[in-house]
Amino acid sequence: MGSIRQRLTLLVLLGVVAVWAYSLVSSYRQAIHEAEEWDKTRIEQIASALLVLDTPDLPTFAAIVLGSAGDDDGDNDASPRMLYEVSGSDGRILSASQDLASVGLPAFHATASSQIRRFENPKWHAYVVADGARGRTVRIFEQRSHRSDLSAEVARRVARPLAFALPVLTVLIWLAIGCSLIPLRTLSEAIGARSPESLDAIATRGVPDEVRPLVAALNILLQRLRGSLERERAFTSDAAHELRTPLAAIKIQAQVALTASDSDRQRRAMQRVVEAVDRSTHLADQLLALARLDETAPMLSERVDLARLAQTCVGDHQANADRKRMSLTSWIDGAVAVDAPLTLVRVLLDNLVDNAIKYGREQGRVEIAMWCEGGKICIEVRDDGPGVTNEHLSRLHDRFFRGGDHVEKGSGLGLSIVARIVAKLGGSFSYTAGLDGRGLGVRVALPMAAHCGID
Amino acid sequence: MRVLLVEDDQLIGSGVEDGLIEAGMTVDWARDGRHAQLALETTPYDLVVLDLGLPRLSGTELLNWIRKRRDHTPVLVMTARDTVADRVSGLSAGADDYLGKPFDLTELIARCRALARRSQGRSTDTIEYGDLSVDPALLTVTRGTERIGLTSRECALLVELLASQGRPLSRARLQDSLYGWNEEIESNAIEVHVSNLRKKLGAGLIRTIRGVGYVVEKAS
Repeated sequence: MGSIRQRLTLLVLLGVVAVWAYSLVSSYRQAIHEAEEWDKTRIEQIASALLVLDTPDLPTFAAIVLGSAGDDDGDNDASPRMLYEVSGSDGRILSASQDLASVGLPAFHATASSQIRRFENPKWHAYVVADGARGRTVRIFEQRSHRSDLSAEVARRVARPLAFALPVLTVLIWLAIGCSLIPLRTLSEAIGARSPESLDAIATRGVPDEVRPLVAALNILLQRLRGSLERERAFTSDAAHELRTPLAAIKIQAQVALTASDSDRQRRAMQRVVEAVDRSTHLADQLLALARLDETAPMLSERVDLARLAQTCVGDHQANADRKRMSLTSWIDGAVAVDAPLTLVRVLLDNLVDNAIKYGREQGRVEIAMWCEGGKICIEVRDDGPGVTNEHLSRLHDRFFRGGDHVEKGSGLGLSIVARIVAKLGGSFSYTAGLDGRGLGVRVALPMAAHCGID
Repeated sequence: MRVLLVEDDQLIGSGVEDGLIEAGMTVDWARDGRHAQLALETTPYDLVVLDLGLPRLSGTELLNWIRKRRDHTPVLVMTARDTVADRVSGLSAGADDYLGKPFDLTELIARCRALARRSQGRSTDTIEYGDLSVDPALLTVTRGTERIGLTSRECALLVELLASQGRPLSRARLQDSLYGWNEEIESNAIEVHVSNLRKKLGAGLIRTIRGVGYVVEKAS
């Protein structure tokens, strides 16, 4: 059931009805019991009176106490409610109700004791008492339907208030619950009326305690949303700014090529146009890689042999390393494999090596190392370049941040891409010392592939 | 006109350098703020073209440093961050003009000329001297209806001399304003340019003062 109001009303009503029904049953039982006790006492009194009264007086007394006895509730049905019979010691009937013969009751025999005895019959209760001294036996018959009439009456009286109270109670409960739910409605109206741009926290004033955790949770969500939206905006603006720089270079160089008087300068300018286009292509590729990482679509994992990947990577970057007369080596210890999307691991390694070559020194070294350690695969790429100051280290994987002093122009996205991939692969990322006590090392630890080392 | 270009981006820097040289200016290119400081301390410049996002010493810091030295060299700022707030903060920090990347090379050159002109107290780009009218943008001198073409160096030399009429300029000073840091200079380069100018514009225009240098007399 969707509505709290309906459910609460129903539950409360069910509870009320259950309690009421229980009290009805127990009151009914109590009332019946009391009535029976009273009835029994009365019949005993009548019986003892019938035992001692003179024979001529018996019909008159019986007519008074029995005839009118059932009529106190006003209903006047024809069939007798109570019948009596007084017999002598010889079994002769001294007096009896007129209808007794027509009803045709079985004989209930008295015992010798003066105790009153009860007999049950499908239609009648029979009370029998004998008085040995007087030689009289009194039998009183009470119709069973008299009893059930009585019970029905008791039940009706007990139940009647509920019949009136239940609808009233339903309405009252409905209104009370509706009243209590007003703050909730006010809150949802307030949230509904917000503009889609508004990510401000929802006010908790006047919010009931029960709803407060919900509002608090919503506010935390809004805050997170605001944060990520701000980051997104900053990223877009940074990305646009970054794209402008190579565009500016292209435009300037193209204009130089158009206006230059000597062909050498013209040629040089055209080469630089191509270089600038390459640079913006690289930036666009990196941005695209980052955007893909932001997508939530799952990528297929496969067994990636890092040793082979390292070889490929060294081959791919050899030309760049040669240009700076750097040595690019890989050092692999044991079987290193991870279960991950191949493209991601590839982009990860490419970025690390690309950075190391870019920010390493001329004629320096770049080393790729891989090994297993404590259930993790460690990948470390180190250079012996000028390194990074502690101040810059914390900002290193911010998007578009480039370290201070260098001529190389990267997109400034490399390490933020690495950080994202590492997070996506459930690994960890840290900076370590470079080679020979200088430069920078980046260590990535990824979860080891299952059964690593067996195959 | 000697310009200090301060730009860390290799591709943009080389383009601007080539463009300004092509327009007849002498360009020194500093790759970072510290180099720029050094250059400004040792060489007089007519104009500084400054990129704000520099390594080591940011463009804004450099600008503040220039103005603190009471150096009134015009500064043209070029940056990729060109929101109104950026422009305002740049101009109030002492920039004379602002250009957002990517910009048009011809616009940059025109603005450079305008700034240099304004700092020399002129309001038009052409310089009038007697019956001569010199247009540095077109590298031409007009005398009546006759148009005489000059090379960029000749034009720069002429403009330099015209800018300080009546005041002799040494050969070293003229060399400084005509040639950048990395340019090979023949020892008699200035003499060659002066003699070319005399051939084109008449012998009486530039006077040699022995042991001092060259002068163009004040226009009557």
